Parts: sequence; structure tokens; C-alpha cells
Amino acid sequence: MNSSPVLMSSRTLILASLFVAVIAIAIFIFISRRKSQSKRNLLLLIGPSDSGKTSIFSSLVYGHAVPTNTSMQVNSSFLNIQGKRDPIQIVDIPGHPRLRDQFKDSLSSAKALAFVVDAHTASRNAAVVAEHLHSVLDAIMAIPPSQPLPTLIIIAHKCDLIKASSLSADTSALAVTRVQTILERELERRRSSQSGGMGVEALGDDSNNEKSNIGGLDCSGPGGMFKFENWEGGEVVFLGTSVQGSQSEKSVKGSTAPLMDWIEENM
Amino acid sequence: MLDHCSISHQGGIVLWTRSFTPEASHIASSAASPVNSLIREALIESRTTGEKYEKDGFAVKWTFVNDLELIFVVAYQRILQLTYVEELLTALKALFVKLYHPFLTTFVASLHAGSSGKTSAAGIVTSLNFASAFEGWDKYFDTLLKKLEDKASQERKSRLRGPVHMQPIVDSPPLSDDQSTEPSQSEDATQDEQQIARNVQALKARLRGRGGRRPNMRSFDSGNGRDSVTNSDSEVIPKRKTTKKPGRKWGDEAPTEADMDSLNYSAEKSDVNNLKSPKDLQSLLDVTSLGSRTKDGLYEVKDWEFEINNTVSAALKTAEVESISTNSGSLGTLGSLFSRLTGSKVLTEQDLKPVLDEMKQHLMKKNVAREIADKVCEGVGESLIGKKVGGFQTTNSAVRMALSTSITRILTPKSSTDLLLSIRTKLSSPLTSTQQRIPFSMTFVGVNGVGKSTNLSKVCFWLIQNGLRVLIAACDTFRSGAVEQLRVHVRNLSVLGVDGAADSKGRVELFERGYGKDAAGIAKEAISYARDNDFDVVLIDTAGRMQDNEPLMRALAKLVTVNNPDKIIFVGEALVGNEAVDQLKKFDRALRDFSSGNGTGKERGIDGMLVTKWDTVDDKVGAALSMTYVTGQPIIFVGCGQTYTDLRQLRVSNVVQAILSD
Repeated sequence: MNSSPVLMSSRTLILASLFVAVIAIAIFIFISRRKSQSKRNLLLLIGPSDSGKTSIFSSLVYGHAVPTNTSMQVNSSFLNIQGKRDPIQIVDIPGHPRLRDQFKDSLSSAKALAFVVDAHTASRNAAVVAEHLHSVLDAIMAIPPSQPLPTLIIIAHKCDLIKASSLSADTSALAVTRVQTILERELERRRSSQSGGMGVEALGDDSNNEKSNIGGLDCSGPGGMFKFENWEGGEVVFLGTSVQGSQSEKSVKGSTAPLMDWIEENM
Repeated sequence: MLDHCSISHQGGIVLWTRSFTPEASHIASSAASPVNSLIREALIESRTTGEKYEKDGFAVKWTFVNDLELIFVVAYQRILQLTYVEELLTALKALFVKLYHPFLTTFVASLHAGSSGKTSAAGIVTSLNFASAFEGWDKYFDTLLKKLEDKASQERKSRLRGPVHMQPIVDSPPLSDDQSTEPSQSEDATQDEQQIARNVQALKARLRGRGGRRPNMRSFDSGNGRDSVTNSDSEVIPKRKTTKKPGRKWGDEAPTEADMDSLNYSAEKSDVNNLKSPKDLQSLLDVTSLGSRTKDGLYEVKDWEFEINNTVSAALKTAEVESISTNSGSLGTLGSLFSRLTGSKVLTEQDLKPVLDEMKQHLMKKNVAREIADKVCEGVGESLIGKKVGGFQTTNSAVRMALSTSITRILTPKSSTDLLLSIRTKLSSPLTSTQQRIPFSMTFVGVNGVGKSTNLSKVCFWLIQNGLRVLIAACDTFRSGAVEQLRVHVRNLSVLGVDGAADSKGRVELFERGYGKDAAGIAKEAISYARDNDFDVVLIDTAGRMQDNEPLMRALAKLVTVNNPDKIIFVGEALVGNEAVDQLKKFDRALRDFSSGNGTGKERGIDGMLVTKWDTVDDKVGAALSMTYVTGQPIIFVGCGQTYTDLRQLRVSNVVQAILSD
């Protein structure tokens, strides 16, 4: 008489605890799945210094461009888009050569990488920009095949600074083609200089035998010339944007619109 | 006297900024602004030399608020010696944080969304209106700046005048003419010629006494004070000095002429001022009438002003108190003990000091030069003070982590180290039909016996392997046997096969002109020989020299200016300790100084480093850190053995690991 309730209660206790454990595991799985879903919802802003990453960031997040300095650390924020359940995380990586490698930390969860190029000075800084882009392309190619590849968006920023010729009124189209040709030419130069070259081994890596040269410029196109459309690392989208100071609020909305539209459609 | 002042977030967003002159505002909006170059060259590269940074004639001072990730920057003309800048920064910091703390915390939180685990809601800020958020700040700033300027000028005067007492009340009435433009404009007009002449003299004296000779200037000023014999006159002068200041307050609008003139003390400008203001006659009358006018006009703003005044002086006081309290030990040990137990705590200077000292010792044990170890640790400490250390992280591990990122940052090259690419780019660059292809030239410099020739031959081997034709120019015309040494190398290298060929004859040649000749001339001949004979690369070997030997350094600089090599590579040995800093600094300095004087106008420094004898130092690789810290240039190669193949590229993570390992 006395023992059965104890027995019963201990059994119920076991059952209850089992039940609780199952629920806990279910919740955990649910949360982690949600997390991993929302994890692949990230837009990375990368690119050389002074190309305008932080102003794009602020115009996306705060709705208007603010004056900026050179960034010293990563900015990260969420962007809510109407009609979407999850907000999109936007991460702005500093462009300083000593900080820019930080983008690799959040690469695995990125849905899209926006490489921002200053269209106005692109031809002057072509070699530097191409070197940076090269390391980005290399990083994308190094993503294991089990993961889906992020989309690479190349943003020709500061379109408004480019003087439109009388023929083509659309400065952003002009900027995009200009940036594309410059980058393709510069990357082709890098590719051809690497093929057939022999690098110097990196120090103290006899065991893992890693390549010291970065690759990532493989192309399936004819003649092996580097073209973004033939690049094996996935889709490359070109957009032209511009951001103006806070004094002209109206044009700001319109100028980052291409990027905004793309985000709304694809993310 | 300030040129530019800004408050920005470390992520790059500027919260508030103001330029005081049109030139400064023009520069500030470009990429080459003093703030940008401060961040790029001093802060990111952890190369903060002292608390002052100088660039293009600007002196820049800054301070951090680490928990809110803010940077306060003040830029002013380098020739001015402003005593109150430090105080201004501390007070600004205290005041700004106090006034806008809630806004700032939401702002900073909005920039860290996602990384902190908390998703959505908390992170999403639809819009922050910066303009409205900092609306009142301009007034606070004006008041603060004025107070400090007044105080500085008073201090100066009280020091030089001794018993003649300044009444602090004097500076409160002019405060209220902030809003009304008219009175102070007329006040600027009251600057009669005498006053301007005095100012010009004072400025000259200041220029002369530049470099910390303040007493000189003061005595000059005091002479002026004695010139104005009467007591009343001496009272007028300080009043003018104080009332002159508010003229600066319209800096955010386009400054008026009078505004600029009050700042600009050069003689021509003052003439213009006189022409423009024909009100010289009324100088004294105007001053007296002005007081009442301003009082009349500004009754309704008085309260608000007063409030600002109070807050500002409170901030000033707290700033002072803070600076005192940081000196006087820790208070509330019980509280800190408790917070230590509960986990998260805010790092203070006292917490960090022993750990940083230990780290410094550790770095020095790893052969990092003492000076560099000091600076690196200082930088790490600066970035950590005020940071919260959460959970189970100890101070020690936090410091270690910060040190590791700092060292990684220093060692990561900021320019391309891909030598092959730059060679190919140069060789393939388009030429006009009349131009001849100029070979890529590299000069190896360094002190005696570090292995310049040996490593030159290693680089040569690597270039040959990559299918390039190399000419070695024997410009060491001093040490006996130097040319013969290179001849042996060339003979060896030409026997070694490339790409299946039996030997690499014709791929490498030696260009020699014997001993005792002028090295610059030989190098020039070598380059033209290489151009005519279709060589791709010229490697120029120079004689080793002590960094203090000026005639030899001049000769080296001449070689550089005459031939303008594409790369100047400093060869240094990994065994070097404190000496590394001195060597590199002096080589770089000498090259820059002597090469800029020769008409070309462009300074030429060291482009990269080659560290030799790497295999002899085990994990005491501090020299690599010292060298990159001093020049900011990358280590292109590391020599680590006796054979031609013992040339390696530096791997940053390896070096960081070696330096931090116990």
C-alpha cells in the first residue's frame, strides 16, 4: 500500500522527466533550425577603404546617409523589410588592408557579398581593388561544396560623381560597365601572372602543404580569359548606386534603390 | 585656434563634427582628412607614437570611450601650442557621454545586432535621427570651448602679470552674445591697428619660440602688457581677448570675413580687415554700448544659457576630479571584488597594469625591441580600458587576446607582397613605340654582414625559376671579395636547370666594374645594359654600411635617386634586438631625407624587408615585429638556411603564435 504510490510517483517522475527532456530537445532543434535559417540571411559589405561601405550601411539601416570616417571595426545591424518574416542582417567590414580579412568570419552565413567599388577612382586604384577582390573570390571558391555559394554583388558606388557623356544619360550603367571592364582587365592580369609562376613556400608549413598563392580565378570560358559571367564561383551581379549627404534627403532614397530592390527580391 | 573637432563611432559613423576654417572643412570632407589618416595610419596599425599624431601641418589629439566605442578627435595647426586640448578632450568626453548616454547606447547596440545573440526586435532600429539627437550639442560645445580658451588665456596672463588679478566675472557677459551676430562683428571691427600689430608680433614670437620654449613667448607678451601703461588699458586687453573668441562660433555656417580675420594673424589679412571695417573711430564707444545691447536682446535665452553653463562647468569639474581620482588608488574594493565574483567587470588601468607589464617582459624575452614592446602594450591597454570583460574571461586572457589581434594587425602587410605580380605588371605595361622596356630593379640595402649578397642570390634563383632573365649588378665596390662572391653565385645559378633544361645559361649574368668605383654609376650602367640586352630584372647589391655613417648613407641615397629602383629591400637579421629599430629608422630616414633633397621632391623610403638567419632564432622572432612596426612595410621574404631554396614567405599566424607562446 505504502510502496505503490512511491513506485507510481517515481515512475511518473521518470516519465515526466523524459517528457520534459523530449520537449527540451524539440525546442532546441526548433530554435537551432530557425537560427540556421536566419543565419543564411546576411549581407556582407566589403571593399577597399573610402569606397562608401559605411554610408551604404547607414542608408540601408537608418534610412539616410551619415558622414563617415575610416572604420576601425565591424558594424552589424538588422534591416526589416516589409513582407519578410526575418530581418536581414547587414555587416559592414572595414576596408583597411589590415582589417579586411575579418569578412571570412561571417562568410559561412552570408547569403550575399556586396563588394563596393568607388566607380570614380576605380581606374586609378585598379590594382589595389583587384587584389582585394581577388582575395574575396578566392575565399568564395574555398567554401566547401556542401554549402551553397553566396551571390557576389559588385556595387559601382559613387555613380553620381561620374560625368555622363551626352550619349548615355544613365550614369549608373556607365559606371557599372566601367568598373566591370577595369576589374576584368586587372584580374586577368593577375591570373596570367600566376599561371605558370612558382611561388615561394610559406614558412613552416611543410606538413599541410598549403598553397601560398591564392587562386579563385578559374574560368570556364573560351581562351581562359577572366570574365565575370564565366567565373566558376557562382553568380555575379553588378549594381550601380550612389549616396549623398544628408542635405538632399530625396535623392538618397532613389540612389541605393538598386541594392534595396535586389535585397527585396533575392533575400 | 582649433581647426577641426569630431566625435565619431569606431565603426566609422561620424556623430558630430565641426571645422573652424574653410580649408579645414574642405580637407575634412575628403578622404585625406586628418581624422581619416589618424585612424588609418596610427590607430589601425597600432602605431600610436605618444598621444599626438602629426600630419600635413596638423597636430591631432584624440581620446577613446571604449565602452561606447567613441573616438573624440581634435585637430589644430601644428605650430600652435594649445595647452587646453587635453582638457577639452576629457571634458568633451565626459559631457557628451553624460548628455547623450541613452541615445548612444541604443546607437551602439544597433551596430552590434546579431553578434550578441539577441536577434530581431532589440537590434532593429528603423531610423535614428542624428541631426535632431545632437541638436543642443553645438551650444554645449561652444560654451565649453570658450571656457577653456578663456581659462587658458587667463592662466597665461596671470602667470605673466603676477599680482594683477583677473576677474573671472568678465567672461560671463560676452557669453550671452552667442546668438546675436551683430555685436561681436562690430567687436571684431574694434581691433585697431595697434592690436593687430601686437598680434602679429605675438605670433612671430610664438613661431620663433616653437619647440617648447613657452617662457620666451610669455615674456614677449608681458612686454606688450607693459606697453599699455594705464591700468584701464590693461583691463581692456584681456576683455578684447576674451570677447574675440566668440567670433569663432559661427564656424558651422560659412564663416564671415571678420571671423576669419580674427583667426588669421598674418599682416596682409589684417590690412584687408582694416579696409573693410571703417569703424575704427568708434572703437571704444562700441565696446561700452555693446554690453547693454547684448543684455537687452537676450533675456529669453538667458536661462537656457545658464543651464548649459552649469552643465559644462560640472563636466569640467568631473573631468578634473576624474584625473585626480585615477591617480589616487582604487576605491570600493568590496564592490570590485563582488563584481569580480559575479563575472562581468569593467577593466581599469589598475587591473591592466600588472598584466601589461608582464606581457611587456614576455615580448622582450621574445627579442622584441624594448621601445616597440612598450608601445604595443600601451596601445593594447588603451583599447582595453573601460571595456567589459564578461563571464569567465580573466583580465589576463582578455589582454592576451587583444595583444594577439594587435600583433596580427601590425604584421599583416598593407601593400601587396606579390613580387612576381608587380614584376609582370611592370614588364607588361603598355609602351609607346619610342620607349624601351625598362627592367624591374631591386636594391638590397643593410648593415654589414647580414647576408645581403647571399639572399640576393636566393631571390635570383627564385626569379630564374619563374622564367625571368636576371642581371646582378655588383655595386659593393668596397669589401674585398664581394664581386668574386657574386661571380661564384652566378656561376652556380647558371648551371642549375630550369624547366627541364640542362642549365640556365643566359638567364643570369653578372655586371661588374671592379672595386673602388662609384656605386650609383655602376648601377646606372647595369640598368641600361639590362635594357639593351633584354633582361627582365636587375638586382643591385650594395655595400653594407653602418646606419650612423652619414657619408655612406648619402652615397646610398644617391644610388637610389639616380636609379630610382622599383623596390628598395632592407635586409636585416632575425638575431637583432633593440638595434633593429635604430637600423631601420635611420636607413629609412636617411633615404628619405637625402633623396628628397635632390630636386625630384618625392621622398623614397624602404619598400620591404627581408629577414635573414631566421633558422637561428627558434621562436624568438621578435625582430619581425620590431621591423614591421617601425616601417609599416611588409616582410617580403625570410631567409632560413644555406641553400638557394631556403627562401620563405612569412606567415603571420606562425609568427604571432611564436611570439605569444610561453
